[in-house]
Amino acid sequence: MGDPVRVQLLKQIGKADNVNVLRSLRDQVHEHMKGILQMSPVEQFNEQLNELHDSVICRSIILAEAEMARLGMGSPPVPYAYLLFGSGGRQEQTLSSDQDSGIVYEDSVMDSEEARAYFQQLTSNIVSILQQSGYPLCEGNVLSNNPEWCMSLTEWKVKLNDWFAEPAWEAVRYLLIMADGRSVYGDHRLAFELKDHYFNNVIEYPNITRRMLDNTMRHKVLLGLFGHLLKEQYGSDAGSLDIKYGAYIPLVNAIRLLALQAGIRDTSTLSRIRALAMHDQLLSEEAASYEQAFRLFLRLRLMTTEQNEDGLYANNGKLSSRSLSREMTEELKSSLRTGKRLQRKVFKRTTGRLR
Amino acid sequence: MIKKMVLTLAALCLVFPAMAFADDPTAGTLNMGINSLWVMVAFVLVLLMQGGFILLETGSTRMKNAGHVAGKTIFTAGLAALIYWAVGYGFAFGADSSINGFIGFGDFLFDPSIISVDDGLPTTLFFLFQLAFAVVSLSIAWGGFAERAKLSSYFIFTIVFIGVIYPIVAHWIWGGGWLAKDGAQDFAGSTVVHLSGAIAAFAATVLLKPRIGKYNKDGSANEISGHNQVFTALSVLLLWVGWFGFNAGSTLAIGDGFFGYVGFTTMLGAGAGAVAALLISWAVNGKADITTMLNGTLAGLVAITASCAFVEPWAAVVIGLVAGVLVFYSAKFFEKIKVDDPIYAMSVHGAAGIWGTLANGIFATDELASKVGVGQGGLIDTGSWHQLGVQALSVLVCGAFVLAASFLVLFIIKATIGFRVTEEQEIIGLDLSEHGAYGYPEQLKKGQGIQG
Repeated sequence: MGDPVRVQLLKQIGKADNVNVLRSLRDQVHEHMKGILQMSPVEQFNEQLNELHDSVICRSIILAEAEMARLGMGSPPVPYAYLLFGSGGRQEQTLSSDQDSGIVYEDSVMDSEEARAYFQQLTSNIVSILQQSGYPLCEGNVLSNNPEWCMSLTEWKVKLNDWFAEPAWEAVRYLLIMADGRSVYGDHRLAFELKDHYFNNVIEYPNITRRMLDNTMRHKVLLGLFGHLLKEQYGSDAGSLDIKYGAYIPLVNAIRLLALQAGIRDTSTLSRIRALAMHDQLLSEEAASYEQAFRLFLRLRLMTTEQNEDGLYANNGKLSSRSLSREMTEELKSSLRTGKRLQRKVFKRTTGRLR
Repeated sequence: MIKKMVLTLAALCLVFPAMAFADDPTAGTLNMGINSLWVMVAFVLVLLMQGGFILLETGSTRMKNAGHVAGKTIFTAGLAALIYWAVGYGFAFGADSSINGFIGFGDFLFDPSIISVDDGLPTTLFFLFQLAFAVVSLSIAWGGFAERAKLSSYFIFTIVFIGVIYPIVAHWIWGGGWLAKDGAQDFAGSTVVHLSGAIAAFAATVLLKPRIGKYNKDGSANEISGHNQVFTALSVLLLWVGWFGFNAGSTLAIGDGFFGYVGFTTMLGAGAGAVAALLISWAVNGKADITTMLNGTLAGLVAITASCAFVEPWAAVVIGLVAGVLVFYSAKFFEKIKVDDPIYAMSVHGAAGIWGTLANGIFATDELASKVGVGQGGLIDTGSWHQLGVQALSVLVCGAFVLAASFLVLFIIKATIGFRVTEEQEIIGLDLSEHGAYGYPEQLKKGQGIQG
């Protein structure tokens, strides 16, 4: 909004014509956003940051397409959508998030092998440009250059059917990843169609939410029996709080599950909460307390320890408990209690429905 | 025909004269025989606890030290047998009345006649039983040495600890020494055996300093996991079983079956320790920690050791529960003050040993105290603080004595021949540096630790 530096950065990113320029702009984004983190309201900050990340990613795709043309491989043979998963899909990237991505392209009437070959090459360019811009690879290899995550719409539908029909641990994990998928570039219609297919399957296989519950409930909130915070016991992070897996992820998981059950297609956690309230799945005061807790977790997650590894922006999701003021600690505890309440509610609702 | 038969019978009578004069054993002989058998069984059980210590210490430490850790337990047990025979037993139970309050004197190079009976029990068996206790105390002390002490220091410390330090404490409380006359209750050795061992371990670990890699520069601790949790769990089972020889055997007699009651309270204390420790670690850390639970079981056993003959069943449960919680916080405390205690000897045997001894002052009943014939009932039964005072005094005096004596010996070792191995030796592991061969040769290649 009223931030000229950010507007200027967005403009420059949209014009970057090689990877070095993009890298330097990404570094500037990092510095600038880090500088205004403390004074901005967290939701607004998160939106602005994710807008910047999206623009860097889109620009990387455009550069990769141009590179393909320059190498004589032409333009995309069929329309496609570039998908972001994980925090990118939820529009909740931190200053240092990794790449989680995929591609869905239209079924080729001509030569499907040619399309496959083109997208293989394109995606490896995109992933490499993003890596050079400081985005680490996904450790689970959920990347658009992995053939498993780069497929035509029909291939995707078959794969989704398989996952729904045979919900082994891995398949459930992939389905949870897909739930947060969002088209960031290209033909959004393809992504919508894929989502249609996904949600039809959710209705057809009601048991799937039960399996998703089993998969996500292992992340417990950081509260001990006496309402105290559970800290890391050993190692260089001793005394810190695992904000990512002990606060943020449990809430994300619980809200995602409610949203899936209600057929809500938003991917960001805050919009999911609002949509749930709008569809009378949550009482408005309940929704407000979850929103408030989530905003705190987002803020704390943005404060977690940054690590710069070989030029890649990384983050261990942990926050030293000493860096929290007394009021913030109390606020965190109360938000974690809210998170725990939500987990119980989701557990009851998910298991109760199937009885 | 009749003549023949009479002759045969007469001949038979000549062949088996005893048949005519056979005699039943006296009640006294029978009594001694059964007591002897029981104490022999108990001795075997307590000696077998060394197997528990071998598994406990190896399981809780790293692979590169396994052979050393396991082997040295057997070696020092052997050395301890000789030292205890030569001098230790004489200082603990030797009978010379002039200095008797402080130290026993006599029976050095102990030579009992073939069947010498004292108090309805052969002295040979009494010696063996007492020796096994001394070796348990010694093996507890090794916890503080683990993974970084020189082999020579084990040699020297065994001689001094088994020869002098342990016997003096044993004399004070069990050998008719001044604390025994005060009425200090320590049925099977929460103080004598466990606290003494733990205090020696404490002196050692303070002088040795933490293992390489235990603490970061900013003071935060790293977890150095033991290499085999199954060993550690088995060790607890082995010690638990052995403990029935330790506690119930300390009755030294079958008598009216009182040893059964002692075993009964022992079982309750151990169970309560296991449950309390698992629950507290789950409540505080959010995870039910196996190591803490195993330590809690042992802490329950250590605590009930002093009080097993003096308290009622409900009190045994309370004593075990408190021990289980205590061991969890004690381990946290020692880690915080940067005392690196790989086997948790100070928490399991020290903190729980102190608690168990003091618990007598609270929970002992007059009825049981008079049955055992030591001291009186505790605070709850009698409303008197007297017994608690006696217990506190015995903990304080014994602890201070063992600490001072152990510290002195180990300090001299450190100042003269050196106590800790070099950094390089510690990194490649004591198996290689002290013995030249790995306990797990197929898992470890010579010298690989020095790069890693």
